[in-house]
Amino acid sequence: MAETTIEKKEPIFAFGKKERKLLTDPLNDNNPITVQVLGICSALAVTTLLFPSIIISIAVIFVCAFSNLFTSLLRKSIPKQVRMIVQLVIIATLVTVVELTLKALDYPTYKQLSVFIGLIITNCIVMGRLEAFAMANSPWKSFLDGVGNGVGYGVILIAVAFFREVFGKGTFLAGTPFEVKIIGPNSEYLINTMADGSWFSWYQNNNLMVLPAAAMFLIAIMIWIHRAWNPKLVDIS
Amino acid sequence: MRSNNYVIGFVVTMTVVVALVLSLMATGLKPIHDRNEAIFNKKAVLAAIESELGENVKADKLPDGEVLSIFDEKIVQTVIDIKGNPVSSEEVEARGYKGGLAEHVDMKKEKKKPAEDRIFPVFTYDNGGESIYIVSIRGNGLWDEIWGNVALKDDFATIVGASFDHQGETPGLGAEIKDNPAFKRQFQGKSIYDADGNYTSVVVRKGGARNTRYEVDGISGATVTADGVSDMLHTGIRYYQPYFKTLKKS
Amino acid sequence: MELVNVFIKAAFIENLVLSYFLGMCSFLAVSKTLKTAFGLGLAVIFVLVVTMPINWLISTYLLDEGGVLGMDLTFLRFILFIAVIASMVQLVEMVIEKYSPSLYNSLGIFLPLITVNCAILGGSLFMVAREYTFAESIAFGAGGGFGWFLAIVALAAIREKIKYSNVPAPLRGLGMAFLLTGLMGMAFLSLLGIDPASF
Repeated sequence: MAETTIEKKEPIFAFGKKERKLLTDPLNDNNPITVQVLGICSALAVTTLLFPSIIISIAVIFVCAFSNLFTSLLRKSIPKQVRMIVQLVIIATLVTVVELTLKALDYPTYKQLSVFIGLIITNCIVMGRLEAFAMANSPWKSFLDGVGNGVGYGVILIAVAFFREVFGKGTFLAGTPFEVKIIGPNSEYLINTMADGSWFSWYQNNNLMVLPAAAMFLIAIMIWIHRAWNPKLVDIS
Repeated sequence: MRSNNYVIGFVVTMTVVVALVLSLMATGLKPIHDRNEAIFNKKAVLAAIESELGENVKADKLPDGEVLSIFDEKIVQTVIDIKGNPVSSEEVEARGYKGGLAEHVDMKKEKKKPAEDRIFPVFTYDNGGESIYIVSIRGNGLWDEIWGNVALKDDFATIVGASFDHQGETPGLGAEIKDNPAFKRQFQGKSIYDADGNYTSVVVRKGGARNTRYEVDGISGATVTADGVSDMLHTGIRYYQPYFKTLKKS
Repeated sequence: MELVNVFIKAAFIENLVLSYFLGMCSFLAVSKTLKTAFGLGLAVIFVLVVTMPINWLISTYLLDEGGVLGMDLTFLRFILFIAVIASMVQLVEMVIEKYSPSLYNSLGIFLPLITVNCAILGGSLFMVAREYTFAESIAFGAGGGFGWFLAIVALAAIREKIKYSNVPAPLRGLGMAFLLTGLMGMAFLSLLGIDPASF
């Protein structure tokens, strides 16, 4: 496991095989959601639409990478007694930075995400990586590990959001300039009637997809596919 | 284990650094935050008169500059009390709404007060000589609050447009009052009086409108939300009736 | 009546875990056996009820522009909330250890876990976003905690039974837990029909 690597004299910004593994490992063998079961909280609730999910993924990658970096830089001076609090303060500060920035850049999305930006603080991946990796590894490696885990998380989140938006609302990237109506009756349709407007206008939006339960089913299916394809991950217990 | 002094020193230093960084950032970005918030609230008001702003205009997609210029040039903001008398901006400020304009009035706070103590915002839009009155309403949906803005012609009976928003209606069902443009569009041209001149407001009818003069279609599966919208329209617009009467007289 | 309404809504209609996915990590990790799930559920109720009013006071009297400092300090909200939660958890742990060792033995191991339970921070953040009053915030804490407790105990009970079923290998464990949570979420949806006016 990557967690047990011993520090040797190496260049600070090396990018060899080992570093690449830090980035790619969380995408497959060690995916934070489907394998480590961390951090599913906090963000799934926004996955009814793709755009907010992309924003929150970027935020998680940012927080994960930089909290790992700062913790790793401070790892030798953090007193053991207050370790948890120090880590939480680092994370909370970064999340506040994200919140203030988003509020300035895209206020409607900030409103839409409301409490879920703050909940990145308790996203277990961030905390989990600090404990498991950043406290014992060099800053550059920790940074890469943070990016890798953030991306591994974001990929699942965006995949869930893609299915929920397309099959639940029939749109793609709604709320952005790139908004496309993919399937289902045109959103301008009259209530309780059908009118065409897109490629598959006979499709009725699936209301199950906009319910929270759909996110659970989608993740269950992803886990199923992932583990069927990579049998060493199967839960034997 | 490190000494207690070290731990305390570490924590204090960290607190100071963090507080400094965050407060600098928060103060630096405050003007932008305030501007964004103002534009966001203004767009919600304009959503009620989308149809008057031009063909296929979506209020939430208007450029920021245009929103501000519409408000500067074409909209007069008034705050009134339950009797229909205007409330001065100093008094609005004294009630805790910094800025003192109609756009600063928080309907959520007002709704918690008894009706006779409330104040109400009115936005008068100058549509080329003819005035359109946009009023804010707030009520209860299924389990949480719903709110919206309704625009009325200067006969104080015909609705020009309406927009709704909600806190936590069920996605795909009650949430359609906000998400489905067709729902809002139905309100255009409806009257808030029946043929005999009795106040009816607009009724959201389950199973489809029967009286096309003042009824609109409901949303299947969202009866409680639809009833909430009807209720909100009925009580909300009635609060403005005294003000409309004084305007009609003059 | 408003308070009962808030409680019911937090517990059933907008269940923290089933409709907002809050506290999922520990929800999935600690729901393998009924006994531990029961303990964690109780601890969550307890911590929610304790931290929500404290965070309400901090947010209203310290951070808000109308508070004693007269400054808009909302940018410190996240840090203070999480600090309060972490220290309250610690305090609760010490108090329980001193006065009720038996309770400590059953709850003890879960208390540190709760600091990073999204449901706790989520409760406080929802309270601010929805502008609850002091009493409402306690009702929300109790309701939210109770809903969370109910969900984890139900899931644990189902998982104990499903161990003996022939589940496709890749779905075993985690996959099945997700499916079950989704189904439970759908079942809870039927409670939407409760008429709030009847309380």
